[in-house]
Amino acid sequence: MGTGFREFLKQLEDAGELLRLPKAVDPRHLSALMAQSPQATFFQQIAGYPDWRAVGAVLSTRRRLALAMGCPEHAIAPRFEEGIRRPIEARLVERAPCQEVVWTGEDADLTRLPLPMMHVKDGGPYISGTLVVSRDPEYGRNVGSYRMMYRTPRETGIDLVSSSDMRVYYQRALDQGRPLPIAVAVGVHPFELLAASYKAPIAVDEFAIAGGLHGTPVELVRCRTVDLEVPAQAELVLEGELLPVGWTADEGPFGEFSHITGEVKWNPIFRVRAITHRRDPIFYVLQMPWENDWLAAPVIEAAGLQALRVASVEPVAIRAPVGSCCYWTLIASIRKRPGEGMNALLALLSVAEVKLAIVTDDDIDIGNPDELDWAMTFRVQADRDVLIVPGGRGKHIDPSVRAGLLGKGGLPTTAKLGIDATIPEGVPRSHYERLRYFAKDAVRLEDYR
Amino acid sequence: MSPLAQSLVAELRERPRHFGELVEAHMEAPWRDFLRAWGEVRAADVLERDDAGRYRIAASPS
Repeated sequence: MGTGFREFLKQLEDAGELLRLPKAVDPRHLSALMAQSPQATFFQQIAGYPDWRAVGAVLSTRRRLALAMGCPEHAIAPRFEEGIRRPIEARLVERAPCQEVVWTGEDADLTRLPLPMMHVKDGGPYISGTLVVSRDPEYGRNVGSYRMMYRTPRETGIDLVSSSDMRVYYQRALDQGRPLPIAVAVGVHPFELLAASYKAPIAVDEFAIAGGLHGTPVELVRCRTVDLEVPAQAELVLEGELLPVGWTADEGPFGEFSHITGEVKWNPIFRVRAITHRRDPIFYVLQMPWENDWLAAPVIEAAGLQALRVASVEPVAIRAPVGSCCYWTLIASIRKRPGEGMNALLALLSVAEVKLAIVTDDDIDIGNPDELDWAMTFRVQADRDVLIVPGGRGKHIDPSVRAGLLGKGGLPTTAKLGIDATIPEGVPRSHYERLRYFAKDAVRLEDYR
Repeated sequence: MSPLAQSLVAELRERPRHFGELVEAHMEAPWRDFLRAWGEVRAADVLERDDAGRYRIAASPS
C-alpha cells in the first residue's frame, strides 16, 4: 500500500470506485456533481483553472474507507487501533513534490485555486479537506483538520470554535499578542487525515500516528516561509499565520458533518504568505458530510472497543453507522456473560457524545440492518432491556438538545438511550435457532438451470 | 471597486442575501473574477451578517 494521495486514488480506480469526468467543470459545480456520482469523482479539467484537476468524495463510503485502510470493512476499528498503538516518527526530506511550484508575495493568491462552492447556504467557498500544522514552543507540533472559508485573495476564515490543541496554541499566541504560524496541506493520504481527526494527547505528534497507520514514516518537508513541516507528497500547501485578532471574524454557515447547515460563527483569520503545489496539482474537495463522517468512524469505533474492554466485556464487532454521522450511535456485538449486555451499554454510552448504543450477541451481523432489526424485535422487552440516562454531555450541533434555549456560553446536555438486544438471561439460546432449509447442501441451483 | 464588486454591494444593499444567491446571480462571471470581486467587498469592511447567515451592508461602514 502506498503512502501518497495519488496511490490511494489509483487504489480507488483499480477497485472501480473512481469515476473520471473528462469534460471541463466549473468549480461552482464540483460538489453538485460529486453528490450525483456513486463513485469518488475525478475532474480531469477545471474551467478557468487549466493547470488544475480536482477530486472528491474519496472517502464517502465505508468501502472506500476500508480500501484506504487496507482492511475489510468490519476490521476498520481494530486496524486503526493497531496503527495508533505503534507510532512511527516522521522523516524529514530535502525535496518534495508539494514544492515543485512556489508562489509568494502577490502570486500567493487564493483565487488561483479552484475553490469549490459546496452548499446552498455556505458563507463562501470552502477548503474542506485540510491538514493544518502548527507548533507551540512548549507542546510541540500539532496536526488537525479545520475548515477554511475564502474571504479575500490573501485571507480565509478558519473554524477554531471547538476545543482542540490548536485552539490552545492559538490562545497562547494570542495572549502574547503574536500570530500563530500554520501550514495547511491539502490532498494527503487518508491516514494523515485520520491521524488529524484522532484526539491524541497534546504532546503526541499526529504524524507519528499516521506513520503507525502506514507502517512506515511519513515523509515531511520544511515549509518555505514558516518554521513548520508538511507531508512531502501533498498536492497543495498554504503557508501563513493566524492573525492575533481572536474570535472576531464571521465564518460560516457551512454544511456540517451532522448533514445540517450550521450557524455563523466568530473565528480567527488566516493570512496566506505562500502557496506551494505540485507541478500537475489535484485539488482535493472533501465532500461533506460523508467524508467527514467516515473519517470519524475509526476513531469513535476504536474508542468504543476500548470502553468495552475497560468494562471487561469481550467485543466481537463494532459499528458507528453513517446515519448517526458515524458519531452519535455505536452498535456492538459481544460474547456475552450474564449482565454484560447492560455493562456494555453503559460503557458505549460513556464514549464522547454517543447518545444511542445497541448491543447484540455475536451471532448477529451488525453490518446487516435486517439482522439488527431481528435482534431488536425478538431479544428486547422495552420495560427491561432499554436504558435511558439523562443529562449526558451533548453537542450544540444536535438540534434536539435545544441549544438555542441556553444562555451565552451554555453547554448542552443530552439524554442517552441504550438497547440491550442480547438474548435475555433465562431464555435458552435454542429458542433463537434460525430456520434451516431441508437438504440445503444436497442440491445446487446451478444444476437445475 | 470593480464593477462586479459594486454590483454585489448594490444587491446586498437591496436586501440581505446568502452568498450562494450572489453566486447564482453572477454565474456568467468567471469564478475567479467573482472571487476577486467578493474579496474587494470583504476588504471594504462593509459587510454584516444576519441571524440566518445572510450578508448585508452595514448601515454605516464599521
